[in-house]
Amino acid sequence: MESKAWVAVLAAGLMVSALALVTSQHRSHQLFADLEAAQQATRQGEAEGNRLRIELGRASQPATIEAAARALGMRPIDPGHTAYLPPATHPARP
Amino acid sequence: MKRSSSATRPRAAPESGRGRHSRGADRATGTAHPLLAVRLPAWRSRMLLFGLFCGFVALAVRVFYLQGGMSTQFLQRQGEARYARTLNVAANRGTITDRNGVVLASSVPARGIWAVPDDVDAGNRDLAQLARLLQVPPSELRRRLAADDRSFVYLKRQVGLDIAQRIESFNLTGIHTSREFRRLYPEGAITAQLLGFTDVEDHGQDGIEYSFERTLAGRPGLRRVIKDRLGRAVDDDWVREPIEGRDITLSIDHRIQYVAFAALRAAVEANQAQGGSIVVLDARSGEILALTNWPSFDPGRRGQLDADHLRDRAVTDTFEPGSTIKPFSIATALEAGVVTPQSTVQTSPGWMRIGGRTISDTSSHGLLTVEQIVAKSSNIGTAKIALQLPAQSLWDTLTAAGFGQAPRAGLSGAVTGRLRPPGSWRAIEQATIAYGYGVSVSLLQLARAYLVFARDGDIVPVSVMRADTPAPAVRVLRPETARAVRRMLELATSDEGTAPSARVPGFRVAGKTGTARKLRDGRYSDAYVASFVGFAPANDARVVIAVMIDEPRAGHYYGGDVAAPVFSQVAAGTLRALQVAPEAAHAIALAATEPQAMR
Repeated sequence: MESKAWVAVLAAGLMVSALALVTSQHRSHQLFADLEAAQQATRQGEAEGNRLRIELGRASQPATIEAAARALGMRPIDPGHTAYLPPATHPARP
Repeated sequence: MKRSSSATRPRAAPESGRGRHSRGADRATGTAHPLLAVRLPAWRSRMLLFGLFCGFVALAVRVFYLQGGMSTQFLQRQGEARYARTLNVAANRGTITDRNGVVLASSVPARGIWAVPDDVDAGNRDLAQLARLLQVPPSELRRRLAADDRSFVYLKRQVGLDIAQRIESFNLTGIHTSREFRRLYPEGAITAQLLGFTDVEDHGQDGIEYSFERTLAGRPGLRRVIKDRLGRAVDDDWVREPIEGRDITLSIDHRIQYVAFAALRAAVEANQAQGGSIVVLDARSGEILALTNWPSFDPGRRGQLDADHLRDRAVTDTFEPGSTIKPFSIATALEAGVVTPQSTVQTSPGWMRIGGRTISDTSSHGLLTVEQIVAKSSNIGTAKIALQLPAQSLWDTLTAAGFGQAPRAGLSGAVTGRLRPPGSWRAIEQATIAYGYGVSVSLLQLARAYLVFARDGDIVPVSVMRADTPAPAVRVLRPETARAVRRMLELATSDEGTAPSARVPGFRVAGKTGTARKLRDGRYSDAYVASFVGFAPANDARVVIAVMIDEPRAGHYYGGDVAAPVFSQVAAGTLRALQVAPEAAHAIALAATEPQAMR
């Protein structure tokens, strides 16, 4: 009788263990899929960041800025018409 | 045996079908069918039973073999066939940035659109839509899809992700996409020859892209993944991890590059020249701040590319430098003690004969000091001084300044130029080499050589990569010699020199013009190369700038008229970008402190 009880307990333990194993496997797969999705999102974010850096490079091209400045009536800087302020001419204010 | 047994028993009814149907009725009526009375041999049923038993045993053994852990190969193979995939993991190509981190070249994800012609089952409307998205004529698309001799055909490579997504949304049978990268060059033509370009497989083909291919290109990886029924990866194993391409930071400053490009383009067009190049060097570190050529091309649109526009002329093309080499001849004479800056040389009547050949100046300058010989660029004066030198010493100076050797700047296609050994020089050759004929150089070599005068007599290697620590310098001239020549070069940009148009308001500049006839079929032609090499500020040089305009045809061809103004523009822009305060700053600053001056 005692041995039958042990068998029953062990069988129940085995079942619980098997279910836990299946559950943890499933959870592991789910987490892995989530990780994959997050990594994919990271890669997409990096690609998007790269694209934006290129766009920024295009937008900040001196030629683009010069064209926009000319449209605003500005003209290129000429050394002859540049005022240079000497450093530390006036004492710094407290 | 069958025959003998049936002979002893009643014959069976010939109509078996009918017999089977009537069997129940026979039982119900209690009348036994004669067929049922037939006794079959017992061994037959036992044999059948044994066969079935063996079959089940075989199945049981097989099941035990497969499931019991004795062999996992079969099931693994089947499982892998259904759920495991080996994926290629692309490695990103490194980004190229300028010295301030501005992106000059970078790769972005793209898609290749390909088809299996036999599988394509799209109507005219779908094909028309596809052609419109791919920006190819529908007839061309149909032609490619009609290629029945191929099981795979690319419809377009390196298509943007947005377009690829729209194509995928059509769900056209037989049309597929593959992962690719597309290289973008935000600066376009401004950095075209310097950076080069990559091919459709993202491999460097020219310029920096080619020179630094091993650094920029990564190594793709291989990854085995297990996918679930939804197609999601649930487990993985790296067969080979990808190695990402490394980013590189160039010494180029994109602002200075633009200033040089814009000035060069305007000068080439204004002078109806065949082309031109500009090199800007940091005089302290030897870094290349700008290197540009015109004509150029847009690396993003290489459909109608002229091969002539691909060359990085400043690095790959050589020309006879003309008068820009005179300061080296004069410096050699100063080093040898043959002359002093104030020594005088008679250059009248403006021509002289050496070994049956005549050399001449543009006009008769009369008695000139050595300083004036450089300032006025007298061929006669330079030749007379050079002829007093041993050929070896002139060759030594030119070689030490880098002529006759390819600059190791990290640029592909750098040429050595031509500087023959001094043992073979005749007198006329020594004289002409002294003023820049009979020797050929690239513009990059010429710019580097002028570091000697900009840096008190020593020279550093040039580099297209940003250098955090300056390379060790090699002495070419004594500092006092370099300073003396520097004074002469400053004089060349004065009103009495050949290049007053090289001056920059607020700064002292020094430099030398060059105007050399071009060789055509072994004879000097009426086509010229106009050049100017100089540095600024003259007393504490920050940049060396070399300008070359090839075959100006708008009336002016002297270096002082064609190349020197370009130097002035580029020097002004470069010094401003580097925030170099002008030497006259104190005077301007005083004016600036007045409230009115600020308005």
